[in-house]
Amino acid sequence: MRIVRTIIPLVVLLTLGVGVACKKPAPAPEPQAPQTDTVKPPVGTDDADAKRKAAEAEARRLAEEEARRKADAEATTLAAYRRAAEAAFKDINFDFDKSNIREMDKAKLQAIADFMKAYPQAKVQIAGHSDERGTVEYNLALGERRAYAAHSYLVGLGTTDARLSDISYGKERPKVQGKDEATWLINRRCEFALQ
Amino acid sequence: MKRWILGLLLGVFAVLWAQAPNQEVVLSASAGSKVGIALPTPQIMGLEAGLVNRELRDVVLRDLEEAGPFAVLKNSLPSSTEPASYPSWISAGTDWLVICRVALTIPTEVEIVLQVVDVKSGKAVFNKKYSGKTAALRRMAHTIADDLVARLTGERGVATSRIVFVRLVFPGVKEIFQLDRDGANLLQITNHKSLTLSPTIGTDGRIAYVTYKGGAPEIWGQMKVGGPHVKLYPRSGSPQGHCFAPVWSPDGKRLALVQGDRRGNSDVVVLDVASGRVRRLTDSNCINTEPSWNPAGTQIAFTSDREGTPQVYLMEDDGSNVRKLTREGNYNASPAWSPNGSMIAYVSRFEGKFDLFVYKLGEGKAYQVTTGVASAESPAWSPDERRLVFSSGSRGGMQLYTTDLSGNTLRRLTEFAGCQSPRWTRTR
Repeated sequence: MRIVRTIIPLVVLLTLGVGVACKKPAPAPEPQAPQTDTVKPPVGTDDADAKRKAAEAEARRLAEEEARRKADAEATTLAAYRRAAEAAFKDINFDFDKSNIREMDKAKLQAIADFMKAYPQAKVQIAGHSDERGTVEYNLALGERRAYAAHSYLVGLGTTDARLSDISYGKERPKVQGKDEATWLINRRCEFALQ
Repeated sequence: MKRWILGLLLGVFAVLWAQAPNQEVVLSASAGSKVGIALPTPQIMGLEAGLVNRELRDVVLRDLEEAGPFAVLKNSLPSSTEPASYPSWISAGTDWLVICRVALTIPTEVEIVLQVVDVKSGKAVFNKKYSGKTAALRRMAHTIADDLVARLTGERGVATSRIVFVRLVFPGVKEIFQLDRDGANLLQITNHKSLTLSPTIGTDGRIAYVTYKGGAPEIWGQMKVGGPHVKLYPRSGSPQGHCFAPVWSPDGKRLALVQGDRRGNSDVVVLDVASGRVRRLTDSNCINTEPSWNPAGTQIAFTSDREGTPQVYLMEDDGSNVRKLTREGNYNASPAWSPNGSMIAYVSRFEGKFDLFVYKLGEGKAYQVTTGVASAESPAWSPDERRLVFSSGSRGGMQLYTTDLSGNTLRRLTEFAGCQSPRWTRTR
């Protein structure tokens, strides 16, 4: 019985010893916080190292969480910003071969100017377009003129010139297809987009 | 009874046919002014007859038909080409009989021996041997057609010329393509995956165009055929107004283009390519666009709305001596100076429709070319000044068409929609 009692711990010790001997050349455990908690290395110096690693991992985890929280907050702000832009940016339209701002579109431009006040970092690109009638090049020039008409009207409402940029697509990018006045009116437009 | 009705109907058709004004390529109408030409099926050795007919004979005949000075005879022709049969060729309306032998020399090469006989005098007026790859048979056919036109008129034909144009690839994306003059051999020239517009071809085949690949429109180009595509303007740094509508000067040293002034106005400027210097030719609070050089490179036609509506003006190449060319209508634009300098083609809007017009500078008068072709746009001259190529949406989507100056022989060039801004060149 006594023999048995002594043999069992021996066997256990031996087994452990063999286990330790076998484990030693194996690579150090991956520096992952949950694993270092459950599988304790048998040697004292490794223990301190593991604690330090665990602390580091915890710090990283917190930092990541904080970054995620910030990104979420920013995304929420950005989404609100985009929603506000989307609400404010409505096409304005023009008469054939004309670039003057129509009375009915002035409220739309006011909404854009208000948006620009609310979001002082916002920059906007104004794209001038024409309907399909007339020549390619003349319509590109007309699109420039329409974009600048909206541009200068917004400057008149207090938007800084430098926050607005113009581009013309002439008749190259119609919004809708068709060969009637209703279609043409939709295509004779300025579009507004965040830059 | 049935035969009688059929005969009556045919008679009516014949009368209508005869009364159709200026129908070209009609035998009887052309006999007086045009040279009747016939090309019987070639004598073929070592090649498939279908291939020769399709890629050689049909191509030559179509080229000659479109060239203008020939009346091409196709039906009920004599079967022999021996001198004894010349009288029957003459009675079929033939002036020139084209006798053609095609033979495979080595597995991928063909030789074409061509002889043209004036059947009235019985004398050969043209003899030439052509050889080339079998795959290039179609190209050889175009060369033959150009040679025959040259033999008759003293000026080479345009069958070997090509059309460079803009094609919609998918919504918002357009690229530059080229086609043979007969609509074959579609080839994509640019691949910017962006809005790419307004090609101009120099006399050495170089190309410039507008592309939005960098966001804003810039002038890019290919300085020699097959070379790399590089940005030409703006050169660097300082923000400038947008640029559009580049056009090579005839000597290729300068590029006229349109530059926005960032205040909604557009001006014609000239870039000296070697030095990079830019000279502004117009300076007014309006649109100035669509420059087109005269062949001497001393004057520029352009479109301006300085008096309220777009009209065509002329000026010297330093911007001086501006004078208005068009006086009728409230939308005249897209001027194209003819290769010999005596005419300017343009588009004019009348009752909501755009048609092609040609202004003859010597006469100081404009002539209407197309009538009621919905939205005829962007006329460009053939190198021989006989035809104009233009885009039109008259038959569902914008396609390319050519027309003679009378507007009577209107032909569709493309078989796909989304085409615009054609240019006609011998140099590509």
